[in-house]
Amino acid sequence: MEIDLISYASKIRGWNAAFKVSFAVLLMILCIGLNNPYVSAAVIIGMAYLIVVKGGLSVREYLLVLAIPISFILLATITIAVDFAWKPIGQYNLHLGFFYIFTSLEKLEEAIFMILKVFAAVSALQMMTLSTPSSEIISVMRKAHIPKLIIELMNMIYRYIFIILDVYSKIKNSADSRQGFCDFKTSLHTFGGIASNMLVISVKKANGYYDAMEARCYDGEMIFLEEDKKITMIQFISAAMFISVLFLIWGFTK
Amino acid sequence: MKEPILSIRDLYYVYGNGQAALEGVSIDINEGEKIAVIGSNGAGKSTFFLNVNGVLTSKSGEIRYRGTIINKKNLKELRKNIGIVFQDADNQIIASTVRAEVGFGPMNLKLPQEEVIRRVDEALAYMNILDFEDRPPHYLSGGEKKKVTIADIIAMKSEIIIFDEPTAALDPLNAEMLEEILSKLSMEEKTILISTHDVDFAYRWAQRVLVFCQGKIIADGTPLEIFQEEEVLKKANLKRPIMLAVYEALVEEHLLANEKIYPKSIREFREMLSKMRRSTLLSG
Repeated sequence: MEIDLISYASKIRGWNAAFKVSFAVLLMILCIGLNNPYVSAAVIIGMAYLIVVKGGLSVREYLLVLAIPISFILLATITIAVDFAWKPIGQYNLHLGFFYIFTSLEKLEEAIFMILKVFAAVSALQMMTLSTPSSEIISVMRKAHIPKLIIELMNMIYRYIFIILDVYSKIKNSADSRQGFCDFKTSLHTFGGIASNMLVISVKKANGYYDAMEARCYDGEMIFLEEDKKITMIQFISAAMFISVLFLIWGFTK
Repeated sequence: MKEPILSIRDLYYVYGNGQAALEGVSIDINEGEKIAVIGSNGAGKSTFFLNVNGVLTSKSGEIRYRGTIINKKNLKELRKNIGIVFQDADNQIIASTVRAEVGFGPMNLKLPQEEVIRRVDEALAYMNILDFEDRPPHYLSGGEKKKVTIADIIAMKSEIIIFDEPTAALDPLNAEMLEEILSKLSMEEKTILISTHDVDFAYRWAQRVLVFCQGKIIADGTPLEIFQEEEVLKKANLKRPIMLAVYEALVEEHLLANEKIYPKSIREFREMLSKMRRSTLLSG
């Protein structure tokens, strides 16, 4: 939800969505394909520049958004760097009661490179999600010929997440005000009640929704007005230059 | 006499569970009329609107739009020309930006892109909501959402606009804004139907009042006629508008001469009072 708000507030929201999406995907592919820590570092810095300086997001907020993927990345890469053994082996080891954890410089390096690579790919995607509202991303996917059914579902789900959250919080508050969550057993019972009520409301709302769509000449195909924002030459050239720089870095550090 | 824009004959509608919702509704609606539809909850107002728009299909009866009988083939024509502003804006707003939302109707009419954009811009300017055209609906307030849903219909250029309890969720300021929009729409010769529980509003605004009760229209006339009929009001669980009740009380107590002026708003009431004072000053 936070991310949704940020994307609407972003200063680079006005950039062409297809441009941002393809740029992000291309960078992600380069990070993985070139598999080069310097390239990854360059992407991380470049994306941070785009999000914070160009997009106008505060550093603190950016770090908060990144905290979730970072913790996942760290947890995942620790298992690459560290191993268990019963005897003290490896370059570095640490005695923990009856077993040892050990690692080596080579393995640490591998883990750090891995972190950089994943982190760069993630930040490229973050650049996209933090500056492009979902509706625009969906419209790019439609242009990429993703099946219509999926696109329509995505549109409706995106719209409905907010409505359902709203309804949920209202029901929850009213249950809460009547002591519906006073102890664990009651909470479980109340939650069950809320869940079944939500289902009924969803079905009802879906009917109302359909009526409203039909009233506006809906005939089986959801089409929305989409207007393309222009790509400026400067954006295009900068993106091309950034990518060539990445290739240069890769060439020199191979 | 001019041909009615919409003419409905013997409309019957039965819900899936066998419960009758409309039992023989017949009515002629003329172009440019301002009609208030009143009646208690479950009297069939919303069902009537959805039938008129062709969303619900009636069991029997016919609907004529400008003389042509509506059938399955020209249903789209009917929907194009009759727009409904639904009671709950969240049930109406589909798209994830205001612009796309207002463009939804015109896009469904399969208009060329430039025409859609032109209409969307027009509708947004009309409702004075150009400044949040790119915002998603979930970050709008209730009054703003209402404006968006009205812009939806304006962009379709419907000739008849139906408002289903528009004032229900609005604060006084937004309700006032709504009345301004209504008078603006009336000046453009749009035919407007509004369902409401607010009898004061109906008395003040409407030229014609329809009273629904248990799936039937039990009264059809000018606001003054309707609200003076004790029996109708009782049957439909309605109250008398305050302005009317006050006026009649004053006449009854002989504080006012019975000149049948029937002021409809505070402003008209004050005007009447000052006119009376002037005439008594002149005669005295």
